[in-house]
Amino acid sequence: MTLVESATTPHRGSAPMGRLLGAELRWVLRRPRTLVMLGLFALVPILVAIGVVVADRNGGGGLIGAIAGNGLVLPVAAMTLMLALLLPLAVAMAAADAIAGEAAHGTLRSLLLAPVGRGRLVVMKAFGVLVVAVVATVIVAVVGVLAGLVVVGGADGTLVTLSGTTLGFGEAMGRVGIAALWTVGQLAAVGAIALAISAFTEHPLVVLASVLGGLIVFGVLGAIPALDWLSPYLLTTGFSAGADVLRDPMTWGDLGGSTLRALCYMAIGGGITTSRMLTRDA
Amino acid sequence: MGIAVAGAVGLGLLAVPAGAGAAPELPPVSAEDLVTSVIEAKDPGPLHGTVTLDNQLGLPALAGVPQAANGSSTARVWSDGAGKGRLSVPSGQGEKTIVDDGTTVWAWDSADKTVTRKAVGAGQKPPEADATDPAAAAQKAITDLRATSTVAVDGTAEVAGRPAYELVLRPLPTERTLLREVRVAVDSEKRVPLRLTVLANGSSDPALQVGFTQLEFGAQDAGMFTFTPPPGATVTEAPDRPGDAQKAQRPEPKVVGDGWDTVVIASMPAQTPADQQRGPRGGGDAPDLSSIGKEVSGPWGTGREIDTAVATAIITSDGRVAVGAVPAQVLTEALAK
Repeated sequence: MTLVESATTPHRGSAPMGRLLGAELRWVLRRPRTLVMLGLFALVPILVAIGVVVADRNGGGGLIGAIAGNGLVLPVAAMTLMLALLLPLAVAMAAADAIAGEAAHGTLRSLLLAPVGRGRLVVMKAFGVLVVAVVATVIVAVVGVLAGLVVVGGADGTLVTLSGTTLGFGEAMGRVGIAALWTVGQLAAVGAIALAISAFTEHPLVVLASVLGGLIVFGVLGAIPALDWLSPYLLTTGFSAGADVLRDPMTWGDLGGSTLRALCYMAIGGGITTSRMLTRDA
Repeated sequence: MGIAVAGAVGLGLLAVPAGAGAAPELPPVSAEDLVTSVIEAKDPGPLHGTVTLDNQLGLPALAGVPQAANGSSTARVWSDGAGKGRLSVPSGQGEKTIVDDGTTVWAWDSADKTVTRKAVGAGQKPPEADATDPAAAAQKAITDLRATSTVAVDGTAEVAGRPAYELVLRPLPTERTLLREVRVAVDSEKRVPLRLTVLANGSSDPALQVGFTQLEFGAQDAGMFTFTPPPGATVTEAPDRPGDAQKAQRPEPKVVGDGWDTVVIASMPAQTPADQQRGPRGGGDAPDLSSIGKEVSGPWGTGREIDTAVATAIITSDGRVAVGAVPAQVLTEALAK
């Protein structure tokens, strides 16, 4: 009896996951504002490279200063630089559109009524946000490598680490890859929180404002010495760990710690989003 | 919702400082035996570790004087056990690396991409190495303070994942000092000090703690002990330190007392005409001290007194400096001698 039933009437939420994710992917990546933003992101490493070259190899300290004559630092520096606000902005925009934007347009209702499980809906939306995070990070990394080699050049296609050692091109690409992977992890945490906020409001702007405002507040809190007990809880505390891929041998402590922290934020954001969407009225 | 709670709990767990596990069970050892074994301990051989310095001394910042910042700083050390070594001091977005390959000491600074090289005799350590060697610092503390202390073994601790005995040196009642005790965590197997903690009177938090937070013994990659200046770096020969020549002319510092209430009286470096021409920020080794401390005077003259949690210093107007881990009165007595 049960066999016959399941064979004839597809039960709720059985639409193939692959098709759902594909539809979400097309919807996210075909949005003009996403494309414009990704295009602008590609300009940032190029601008940094031109700035460093124009500054005549006298760029001062920090990661930006390390780029001079050492082009392969550029992708890592660009990712670290943009992780502060620009990359989270992209993720927050995608998350705002994903749920709050649909609610504002009235299209969320049809999604909630469609024969798609609520849990699958959350997975689908989270996947869309993650894709934006990955694509944005990869664009910055790839353009960073190209601009570093072409515009900045120097160091014969090798990477001079902060520790004063020289890495070959292959190993340098590995380091850039680790930095990109780590950046996506941090962005996924931002995205999870943004999705949770998105699930509670019908105004996409609220999501954008809370995420960017939250990041700024976290940054301020992390800079106050009297509140240093708070810093292990703040996502932004680990945002500077990306520079550790430029050390030789690499130190994994801060990268690992910040990734664990990001996983906790993902769990919090994901849990809240799921429970809100499961209980939400259509 | 359960996942969200798990995430919040995980975040809380991450914030709890690691370490502080259960005290390891170790065979009892007498304080005397432990001290002897530490002083006679063999070189632990090749090692790699992370050293953390936690500085709560509250030293006033002096322009032109290199010092570890208040708060916590870390360094990574490698040693091949035969005189070669590598020390790397990371900062936020840079790193300073010092490599001793046996014949040359290379110092790399990522901030300005400079390499400074200095030829050394084999086995001669760069001066920077001492400051980041908890073992050497602790060994010196034990030898210096033994005679004027009650020495005891106060349980065990786990330092950098290794079981260790806690050796405690407390000043005898006759010692006039600001310090309450010095604790040395001694590795139970290799008998090398792993951590040195200085506690001052009136505070339960360490005033100074230097120790390994991660440590492994065993053969190290030989590549760690060589250094090739990277392309694009500026390589300079280290000038003979200007201090070396002056030090020879300067009288040796006078030591008054012994043990915990030792007072060291040194004379301030006189400003050379060249320094004065370069102006107050000329980088001479006489820092401007007129802005810190408080004015004091006595039969020994007048000067400025600088107080920190663990030490007091008096700089007299006639160019003498008295320093010790003692109350100011002991300093003035020593100056009057």
